Amino acid sequence: MAKIELIGVTKRFGKTTALNNVTLEVHDKEFFVLFGPAGAGKTTLLNNIAGIQIPEEGMVKIGGQIVNQVDPAERNVAMVFENYALYPHMTVYDNIASPLRSPRYKKDEGYIKDAVQRVAALMKIEMLLERLPSQLSNGQRQRVALGRALVREPNVFLMDEPLAHLDAKLRNHMRSELKEMQAAFATTSIYVTHDFMEAMSLGDRIAIINNGEIVQLGTGDEIYYMPCNEFVAQLMGDPEINLLSCRLVKGDGGYSVVWDEAPEHRMFMPANNALFDRFEKLSRADIHMGIRPQNAHYHFEPVEGAIRGTVYAFETIGNKSVLTAQIGDTHLRMIAPNGLPVNLDQDVYVTFDIDRAIFFDAGSTEYIGRFDEAAIRELAAAQAKEA
Amino acid sequence: MTAQKRLYSILKNAGLAIYAIFALFPLLWMVLLTFKSDAEMLTTTFVFHPTLVNYEEVLLKTDYFRYIKDSIIVAGGAVIISVLAGVPAAYALARYNFKKKEDIAFQILSFKFAPEILVVLPLYMIYDKLGLYDTYFGLIWVYQLISMPLIIWVVRGYFEDISVEIEHAAQVDGYSWWQIFFKILVPLIRPGLVASALLCFIFAWNSFTFPLLLAGIKIEPITVAATKYLAQNTVHYGQMAVAATFSALPSIIFAICIQKHLVRGLSFGAVKG
Repeated sequence: MAKIELIGVTKRFGKTTALNNVTLEVHDKEFFVLFGPAGAGKTTLLNNIAGIQIPEEGMVKIGGQIVNQVDPAERNVAMVFENYALYPHMTVYDNIASPLRSPRYKKDEGYIKDAVQRVAALMKIEMLLERLPSQLSNGQRQRVALGRALVREPNVFLMDEPLAHLDAKLRNHMRSELKEMQAAFATTSIYVTHDFMEAMSLGDRIAIINNGEIVQLGTGDEIYYMPCNEFVAQLMGDPEINLLSCRLVKGDGGYSVVWDEAPEHRMFMPANNALFDRFEKLSRADIHMGIRPQNAHYHFEPVEGAIRGTVYAFETIGNKSVLTAQIGDTHLRMIAPNGLPVNLDQDVYVTFDIDRAIFFDAGSTEYIGRFDEAAIRELAAAQAKEA
Repeated sequence: MTAQKRLYSILKNAGLAIYAIFALFPLLWMVLLTFKSDAEMLTTTFVFHPTLVNYEEVLLKTDYFRYIKDSIIVAGGAVIISVLAGVPAAYALARYNFKKKEDIAFQILSFKFAPEILVVLPLYMIYDKLGLYDTYFGLIWVYQLISMPLIIWVVRGYFEDISVEIEHAAQVDGYSWWQIFFKILVPLIRPGLVASALLCFIFAWNSFTFPLLLAGIKIEPITVAATKYLAQNTVHYGQMAVAATFSALPSIIFAICIQKHLVRGLSFGAVKG
């Protein structure tokens, strides 16, 4: 139960910089998600908070105290490692009991027995307590690793992709379980993942990390609807956002966009002064328009204002499908219902919800704006108040 | 098909029998010699008048047990020092990155490359100057050439197999480095450590060149002392056989006791599954 602060933390390994001047504040009792691609520095950040690694520059504070010089054993953090890091020569029971037997967190055996039973019941591993880690499946090992972290009451839970190796059903179950547990324990948690769904559903707030730097910080909705650049937009969302190279055309008292792949179609924008003001300030006319797959629509008959293309692929991803259309050299992803009768290479006509588009600077790939930005800011503010 | 199988089985067993004779006959022959008197030594093969006179001569009338004691001290001391210094060295080579790490590791291994006879003469000069000649300490020191590389290389492999996150997890669980070392790491490297230490003990016990030239007056390990039974003009084969049989006993007993662990310890990694 503590606030975690990182101030200007830089961590280098030889010549590579794993963390570059990271400043971050995790509120007390918050469920904080670190989300980013592989090799972004997520695990390094956790290790620096746990004290397994010590930053070259900057400060790490737990509960207001600078802990740079404090051993991991004295920081009162619990950590779940991505590769489980169970002790191979100890039974599941002894593994879970290990923190409670250490000199730092010593408890009597009676207490330990109760605590281990409680955690084992929570993790549904009661019948595995006498086994060795080598006799468990990956999912079971992961639950033992979680159990070892949950058995005591630390300042902060650090979880490094704890659900990555579970099968889909168990993962969904554990995801909601984790969220409930965190609410019940009221303990600050920092959770690392590269799964967008996990990040969105678990995190009170999410930090996007890339190349050792925090790229964006905010609630899930905030980041999803107002990604600060194209990288974040592509990371958040599955299927991935469509980014279309467009030209801005000014005229008739407003703006319209023309997609490079379909120059004959002019898409008129609804009036929006805040957005148009930002367009005014741009030094160039080319922009990237981000269209989420659910905001692009397919038609099999010619429709007013639709752009013609051909069906490139149709794949089912669970309860929905992704229809990919080829227009010029661009592949455009759209959400479609399962079982849609569709033939490859048949003609398809595409329209966009232009009022849901996200605009990016074509040069810097930075966020410019979107039409309903004000509404999303309100939503984010409400969420922040709630959390 | 069955005939073919039977033939294969016969051939296999015949091959194994030939190998068993090849491997064990010298030992059997040595034991037989211990029961022969000097008179019958060269004139009989399997039929002779067994006598215990050789045993009496060697075990009761010479300092045989002092030689055994010397062997135990130098071989045992060498292994203890090698374990105490080798395990931390192996840990450092497995866990830390420092300049020329692989060169140092290879250098350690290369101690085993040079023939003993090549290094023993310069060592003799050095030992003589330093006053290490014919001391327990001197022999234990030189035996590190035999035992240290083996222990470092085997145990290093075991440490490398233990993922570093296991140590991190134990740190986070509230253990200090020393507690982690003894509670987590030592149990995991134990098979390799035990196997390599016992093998080192046998190698040190069997060492002949080093004790022959670097000791021999006050301190006489059994391998060197066995040559005493080659007298100036007579050779007491029977007595030599007794000395050799007894000196081979520890190796044989160890090898039989730890056979299973020896093979497993030297070929398996620490963390399986």
